[in-house]
Amino acid sequence: MSGKEPCPLVVVRPSRGIVDEKFVVLVQNLPPGLAVTVHALIHSEDDDFWEAFGHYISDDRGCVNVAKDGSIGGSYDGVKPMGLLWSMKPIPGSRPGLRLRKKDVHTPLVVNISVYQGHMNERFKDTPALACAVAERWYKGPGVQRVGITTNGLKGTLFLPPGAGPFPGLLDLWGGGGGLVEYRSALLASHGYVSLALDYMTPKTSGNNTQHVGNDYFEAAFRLLQEHPQVCADRIALLGLSFGTSVALGMAVYSPVIKPKCLVSVSGSHVMPVNGSLSDVFAEIKKNAHNTRHDEENRIIWRDLLLPIPDDPSKKVDVGQIQCPVLLLVGEDDQNWPASESAEDMRQMMEKAGNSHLLTIASYPGTGHLIEPPYSPHIRASNFMVAQSRTKVIVLWGGQTVPHSKAQEDAWQKTLVFLEDHLYGIKHR
Amino acid sequence: MTWTPFYLLECQLRAVGQLRVSLHRNMCNRQAQVRWRSGSRPAPLLTARPTRALIDEPISIDAHHLPSHTPITVRANLTSEDGDLWEALSHYHTDAKGALNLMRDPSMGGSYVGCEPMGLFWALQPVPGSREGLRLRKRDVETPYAVHLSLLEGFVSPEDTRGKGSEEGQELAKTVVDRWYMAPGVRRIEVRQNGVVGSMFLPPGPGPFPAVLDLWGMGGGLVEYRSALLASHGMASLALAYFGHKDIPGPLNRINVGDSYFQAAFQLLQKHPQVCEDRIAVMGLSFGVYLSLRIASQLSVKPRCVVGINGPLGSFNTFSTEDGQKESFEENQRHWSYDEQGYVSFREVSSPSNIPSENYAKVEDMCCPLLYIVGEDDMSAASLENADEIEKRLHTAGKSHLFTRLSYPGAGHLIEPPYAPNARVSLWTTRPRQLMTLWGGHLAAHAAAQKDSWQRILGFLECHLRGEK
Repeated sequence: MSGKEPCPLVVVRPSRGIVDEKFVVLVQNLPPGLAVTVHALIHSEDDDFWEAFGHYISDDRGCVNVAKDGSIGGSYDGVKPMGLLWSMKPIPGSRPGLRLRKKDVHTPLVVNISVYQGHMNERFKDTPALACAVAERWYKGPGVQRVGITTNGLKGTLFLPPGAGPFPGLLDLWGGGGGLVEYRSALLASHGYVSLALDYMTPKTSGNNTQHVGNDYFEAAFRLLQEHPQVCADRIALLGLSFGTSVALGMAVYSPVIKPKCLVSVSGSHVMPVNGSLSDVFAEIKKNAHNTRHDEENRIIWRDLLLPIPDDPSKKVDVGQIQCPVLLLVGEDDQNWPASESAEDMRQMMEKAGNSHLLTIASYPGTGHLIEPPYSPHIRASNFMVAQSRTKVIVLWGGQTVPHSKAQEDAWQKTLVFLEDHLYGIKHR
Repeated sequence: MTWTPFYLLECQLRAVGQLRVSLHRNMCNRQAQVRWRSGSRPAPLLTARPTRALIDEPISIDAHHLPSHTPITVRANLTSEDGDLWEALSHYHTDAKGALNLMRDPSMGGSYVGCEPMGLFWALQPVPGSREGLRLRKRDVETPYAVHLSLLEGFVSPEDTRGKGSEEGQELAKTVVDRWYMAPGVRRIEVRQNGVVGSMFLPPGPGPFPAVLDLWGMGGGLVEYRSALLASHGMASLALAYFGHKDIPGPLNRINVGDSYFQAAFQLLQKHPQVCEDRIAVMGLSFGVYLSLRIASQLSVKPRCVVGINGPLGSFNTFSTEDGQKESFEENQRHWSYDEQGYVSFREVSSPSNIPSENYAKVEDMCCPLLYIVGEDDMSAASLENADEIEKRLHTAGKSHLFTRLSYPGAGHLIEPPYAPNARVSLWTTRPRQLMTLWGGHLAAHAAAQKDSWQRILGFLECHLRGEK
């Protein structure tokens, strides 16, 4: 190439990060005062494309620092160091109702960062970029081990930090969407916890009989952690999201086997028939199916299925009996589950019972149901497979992107501090 | 603190009245492990960030949930591609909160002393009992080094661990970091074109990029890691083989290529569609410095700038324009010198007084800036004398403004990218007999030189390759 000016330089540090780690995106060697678009692109495992972009103007040294400079347009504005990740949405023309979830934690999310001339909003694919960089985002740290669990009829995945331990343990329960979701456990193992991601929604099918797991399933999972040679048997936490919280709270109060050291509930509720099996819980929820609402785009709002919060004590977990610290993380715009109302009711129950000193509630305005690890793209609505009937619907989760993303960062920080205090701390709380 | 007959206690009363206790284990430390593991206390937490770093990226290491004011050893282990175990161990005291922070805390002893956040990496040494004369060099740059970091109780020395690696019952905590020469998105392309043998590394993106022609020394073969790292900083880089490579015709122990080969290599870079043809630097270490100076002064190609590290301005064996050298390096040993252990130093081979002046590169004809880096403890090349001679010749030609020298006390010959261990001595050859060669350099001083010089090199390249001429 004769006499050409070199392309600008895009640098991402760290270029290989853990997903909850911040990065700095720097663009250098631009002409000063140039309008540019910094664009991030992920090609997901499901073969979809997700993108985010910010509009910037290079300074008098020809630099743009996404961590320090304000975006003046695009998918986020203002100084948003991680906006290139959390504001990601499927590119125009994508299939509807998508959610970005990593299945294989042995490989990273690969983020292609490009800089374009001008303030662009579309047609990135057809436009040559000025410069590019690649960042990897990993759920699993090097040295973290992944072990498939099929013993004792359980279906799950265990993640172990490097080293002999022993480590505190964690039972990681997702929600009604079902399946085996590993990424949060991989991430928690990267923070020093033996974490068991458990699939409990997939019904057991033998012959013509389809059965949900019984309470003994969760007890077996808890015991697996307790008996694991690398786990401190009396330092095991329960972490539940959505329906997983109901399970966690129920077990924490009523199970003679499950004695968690602490409990984290994300977007959860205590409303469910006490001492019921999973099947009983679903049956109870079905009774309220007529309370299903739809928004203006015909997306399902399920929050009323548990409302009003019952006064009948047999219809909700008696959190007044809980003996361990509890952290409730609540989105005030949760359209899927009445997390706010439930949190308030739990607070009242615990105050009455005299154990409210165990309770911490973090309530986030403008935040929806899917409070995920930080910098995950906010999903307001997505496709959902109803596990029992295998039907596909579009569910409204709620939340507005900016406050929801801020909440994810704060909620994760609170979760990590809470877990470290109670599981690694020496003082008895 | 349990005092038992299992430990030999050495107490040293310090001037300020502090008691410093070092524990010398002459039995296995299982009892200590029981104390740590008793009840349900979890293992301490050892964290390194980032967990996957580029070789020249600093890593921050800290530990929490240890007892307060307690002696602890932090260890790094690495298994090289050749299967050798490398280790660094350093001694710290936890603070009042039972924490350690290697960015803040000083090492009291071990592989390094003082506050050295990256000491565990640059102070890695082969474990006791290893083969002699090892040098840590990455051959496959597309995979990382996995470094195992661990915490051990008390002050442990390499003899105590006896290269056991991660053994159950020894480590209080462990974590792993991956260290890469290649950033994600960098592409490695094998080059066998126009007779040129090398590996090209391209940054991600459309380019065009400034470029570097990357030359090593008389060790021969094809050394890729510096080029991989340069590409990770936004420059296309061609690591060039010119000697001792199976794909270059002719005897392996001789340089069989001449000026036309280096001209072809430079032009290959120039013609690459993703390279800016007038923004190419030449970088050389050791004999590569002579080649770089020759390219910049006597060939028709015009590099934008030159970086030379610890190398001569002339060639002891006459270098012809077409055929390289008629003699091999080994054929003329009169300036080889040996120390009391039989290690050879090649230093005097490159002394300007021993090189016929007709074999000097015509540095006075150079038109581009030169950054010359000197390790003052260089035992393999007469770097200081060569720097002086180059500087003198440029001055005589009225070109002093082209010359910048960086001189590092205590640094040896092998000034490489940062945070990698220096080899003061390593195996040179096994034929006709095993011969070790002296490179020089004292570990800590050499590490400081690598860190500083790499920053300066990147800045120099940035300035001249991206700036105006």
